Amino acid sequence: MKAAEHKKYLFEICEKIDLDLESPTCKKLKEHLAQCPDCAAYYDSLKKTIVLYRNYEVEMQGSRVTEILSRLDLEDDADAKGHLKIKLPKKPDA
Amino acid sequence: MEDDTKLIAASKAGDKKAFGQLVKKYEQLVYSFSFKICRDKNKAEEVLQETFINAYRGLNSFSGNSKFSTWLYRIVTNNCLMMHRKKSHEPVVSIEEADLFKGTDELQIPHWGETPQDVVLNKELKDVLDRAIQKLPLDYRIVFVMRDVEGLSTEEVGKTLNLSVPAVKSRLHRARLFLREELNPYFSK
Repeated sequence: MKAAEHKKYLFEICEKIDLDLESPTCKKLKEHLAQCPDCAAYYDSLKKTIVLYRNYEVEMQGSRVTEILSRLDLEDDADAKGHLKIKLPKKPDA
Repeated sequence: MEDDTKLIAASKAGDKKAFGQLVKKYEQLVYSFSFKICRDKNKAEEVLQETFINAYRGLNSFSGNSKFSTWLYRIVTNNCLMMHRKKSHEPVVSIEEADLFKGTDELQIPHWGETPQDVVLNKELKDVLDRAIQKLPLDYRIVFVMRDVEGLSTEEVGKTLNLSVPAVKSRLHRARLFLREELNPYFSK
């Protein structure tokens, strides 16, 4: 198969990578992948690239609700009085 | 948990408790999306806080025509872009498509071997994925993360980023190819 013909399929693979190969629009592509090991390897690696990033999750350590609301409170205080009101911590008991 | 419409209406009326519930509901989504764009936990934390502060200030401009999450995606994106412009001194990377034919008429694709799709993402692999995506220009990275990782439709990505559907497809196409090429040496050894 000539380069131009392969290129057509390589473009189609990238366009249809998130579709199910069983869908009717992928019929010709699926047939080509079954008989072209290079395009099949390309399809496989592109699919894995996406799946790897999709599976890479990151969890927050604890909620930030309190910090965010307290920042909003500080901003409200600043808006109301025209300057930022700093909330000092209470003095420790003697 | 109350639905978004009620919480947004209450927040617009100044009910911080309602806004707190919105933060609680969406903070993981915002943090996770920020991290996927910035690839840095400290930056993701900063973007998370700025995003909700901006969201609270701009709540009156949220019309409800899109999902609240989509609106948040837009704010995160703007914050990431601003932070990137302020702090970045990265050289501009060209993302020309790789020559898969190596100057010949033959297609030369290295096989990745057995990489189970549910492969455990250990530290080494995470570093590889982080390094590869950090080389991708931010405009392309955002489209890839929104479309392929977060699962937004091409139309939603276009609306969120003010891009036409062909422009989204073009960036996505290039981003996918770039990342596959960057990961090639790791998986085809």
